Amino acid sequence: MSEITLTINDKQVKGKQGDTVLEICQANGIDVPTLCHLEGLSDVGACRMCVVEIEKERRPVPACTYPARDGLVVKTDTEQVEKYRRQILELIFTERNHFCMFCEQSGDCDLQKLAYRYQMDNVRYPYTFPSLPVDSLSDYLVIDHNRCVLCGRCIRVCSEIAASHTLDFARRGWRTLVGADLEQPLGESSCVLCGACVQACPTGAIFSKLNLYKGKTEECQQITTVCPACGVGCELNVMTKDNNLVRIEAPRLTEPRGPLCLIGRFELLRQSSTEVISPLVRDKQGKLEECSLDKAVQAITDGLGSAKGEFAGIVSPRVPNETLSLFYKFIRKTIGSDWIDSTDGGSYRIISEGIRQFQNNVKGLNIECPIEEILEADCILIAGANPEKTNPIIGSLVRRAVSQRKAKLIVIDPSGDVFPLWTNLWLKPRAGSEGVLLNGLSNIIIDKGLAKQEKIPAEFLSSLGQYKMGELNRATGIEVERLELAAEVYGQAKRGVIIYGEDLLERKDPSLVTSLLYLAELTGNRVKDRLRVISLKRYANSRGAWELGLAVKGIERDKPKGLYLLLADEPVEEELLNWLEGIDFLVVQASYHSPVTSRADVVLPSLIWAEREGKYVTMDGRSVRLKQVLKPRDGMYQDEEILIQIAKKLGRRLSLS
Amino acid sequence: MAKVKVATTWLDCCSGCHMSFLDLDEALISLADVIEITASPITDIKEFSPVDVGIIEGAVGNAHDEEVAKKLRANCKILMVWGDCACFGGICTMRNLFTREEVLRRYYSTESTTKDSNIPSSEDLPPLREVKPVNQVVKVDCYVPGCPPSSKAIHYALAELLEGRIPILPSEIMRFD
Repeated sequence: MSEITLTINDKQVKGKQGDTVLEICQANGIDVPTLCHLEGLSDVGACRMCVVEIEKERRPVPACTYPARDGLVVKTDTEQVEKYRRQILELIFTERNHFCMFCEQSGDCDLQKLAYRYQMDNVRYPYTFPSLPVDSLSDYLVIDHNRCVLCGRCIRVCSEIAASHTLDFARRGWRTLVGADLEQPLGESSCVLCGACVQACPTGAIFSKLNLYKGKTEECQQITTVCPACGVGCELNVMTKDNNLVRIEAPRLTEPRGPLCLIGRFELLRQSSTEVISPLVRDKQGKLEECSLDKAVQAITDGLGSAKGEFAGIVSPRVPNETLSLFYKFIRKTIGSDWIDSTDGGSYRIISEGIRQFQNNVKGLNIECPIEEILEADCILIAGANPEKTNPIIGSLVRRAVSQRKAKLIVIDPSGDVFPLWTNLWLKPRAGSEGVLLNGLSNIIIDKGLAKQEKIPAEFLSSLGQYKMGELNRATGIEVERLELAAEVYGQAKRGVIIYGEDLLERKDPSLVTSLLYLAELTGNRVKDRLRVISLKRYANSRGAWELGLAVKGIERDKPKGLYLLLADEPVEEELLNWLEGIDFLVVQASYHSPVTSRADVVLPSLIWAEREGKYVTMDGRSVRLKQVLKPRDGMYQDEEILIQIAKKLGRRLSLS
Repeated sequence: MAKVKVATTWLDCCSGCHMSFLDLDEALISLADVIEITASPITDIKEFSPVDVGIIEGAVGNAHDEEVAKKLRANCKILMVWGDCACFGGICTMRNLFTREEVLRRYYSTESTTKDSNIPSSEDLPPLREVKPVNQVVKVDCYVPGCPPSSKAIHYALAELLEGRIPILPSEIMRFD
């Protein structure tokens, strides 16, 4: 990019060819007011707040859409443009309901801030008072069209960042509204409830019921931490007031890992009344009764004796590495058992066995690429995963790649529920024929000469087995044309990314993972030393737990007699609940009461995500830090403290270091 | 030096701006040395005589409001308005989104606190009109927005006037809520 020189407010400034005048102003610390501009989104010049004077232009022009040129002479602060800006503000205020005293966003409103800046103490034009609808049917979001300035920030963030393409302008002229789909109520639309529009809205037109009247930004403490929900590891800006959660925002809304999802932005704010706040043990009648920690610890040590030698530990990967390693030591050393697992350890064992079969790989999980590669992809193959449900940010990255970068989306899934609006090519194999399908695709790719790997390992070729198109078609139930097309599209991709997840792992067949890895290897879909393959992980620290070796052996075989389950605030899965059936002595350390705690012999309290601190490893292997955003509730113990107390009672030493 | 004569009134409003004025507390005492309030809802004197500064709180919501605003304008050299209702229309304009009948029915029937739910009607009652900010009815010289304006903002505006300047609230003091 060639450098250009402009004169702005009589000063020489430099920029790049292709920059807008606004970008150059901002890069050089020249303050130009904006309203419809949001960094990271395209500019449309909707509000005209950023008008500037440019020599030889007959009229003021919006800086945000004006391409800078070499030699341009710009004035951003003349009396005339300041007058225009104030006039534009007055006109915006007359258009709809912009009376602040009954607006939730007062104090956090860009429009209001501009009015203060321009000392707008009166409006010289008559108001129009249109009576516009308010859509408050969604459980999460409200759109009050009366507060809207039609800047389009919500629309652009919805299409460019969330890639949901739900919001758009509806109607024409002064009747224009922001509409969801074809003016559906938001709650019934294609909205994914990521809440990016809430953050992007400069006024009180789109807001969330979960944030309502809890506090204004200036009254809040802000801490940047990481999302405790899934393995993507999104950064959260958590706002708190008086040790209560107020609002969660994305500190880097427009970056690949930036936008948040329904869980990160909204669900984490929900306060549950079912918190475990005190230890509980079963009394003689078999009823769970509150007790002191000491009594609970005693009950555990007694129970340990009865389950001697057959005691296991399971831990949720929602807790950070520090807690995980202490738990590992606790089970291995203090209890003296090697029965240890994470709640999603089964997935790990299939993935790691799949990788081992691929090339006796020593790099283990490092064979996978970072999630940013999804955005760069020209083809995405999804096998047995539903990212929009399990890891919504991966879902938005896929949608972005497809809608903005024209990536081709191939989905292997029998249900038809995966990216129903975005999939280019469906492959719906019969149950159990996934392996045949994957190896069949490899075979077709080799046959068509699309294999980029010069030397295809003989062992792999032999593992592919015999294949005939007709048989492949019969086994999978997929038409020959479809199979060929899928092989061609993926085989010709330069940056094809494979994403797989729980639905594939549920088959409990590591060779499916191996087949996917070979498919990527065969077509040369690598980025440096990594394959363009991503396995979705359900919990924030799934990978951390796996790397610490917590899930290596697992306890899938026989059931232990006694179990210590450190569940923390992980949502309870039916599967786990069923598995717990028949365990004689169950200790559950959890943040919330659930069917699992009501089955326990001893219940211990555990912190919630906001009270915890420590290291997480994201699903693609980045170390991130979970920070404490709320002080633990009165009388709460650190998760580790309880383990240390039990060890003490048993006469063992257990420490964090 | 003769005291500066001031007359205040309120129109369609909640009286919050006058309360904010009273919140000046001890500053009122020193203010009383330099200004004289000739008419005001606080003194309950409603007839205006010629003054230096007229002050209006509230929006114009009916013919009576308009008449009062015009009378005060005619009797003052400088007209200052207090509060979002007077500056912009404010919370009173909520009713502009509905017809007059809807507003009256809602007030006297559905949310009624009166015994008989009749909409009162009398020649003496000025009918409701579309709510307007004061500057759409008479010329206004200076504005102190806020709902209500802080006593700090009111004090700033009065002090500026006494210094012979037309006040425009600095951004740091200006608030719309």
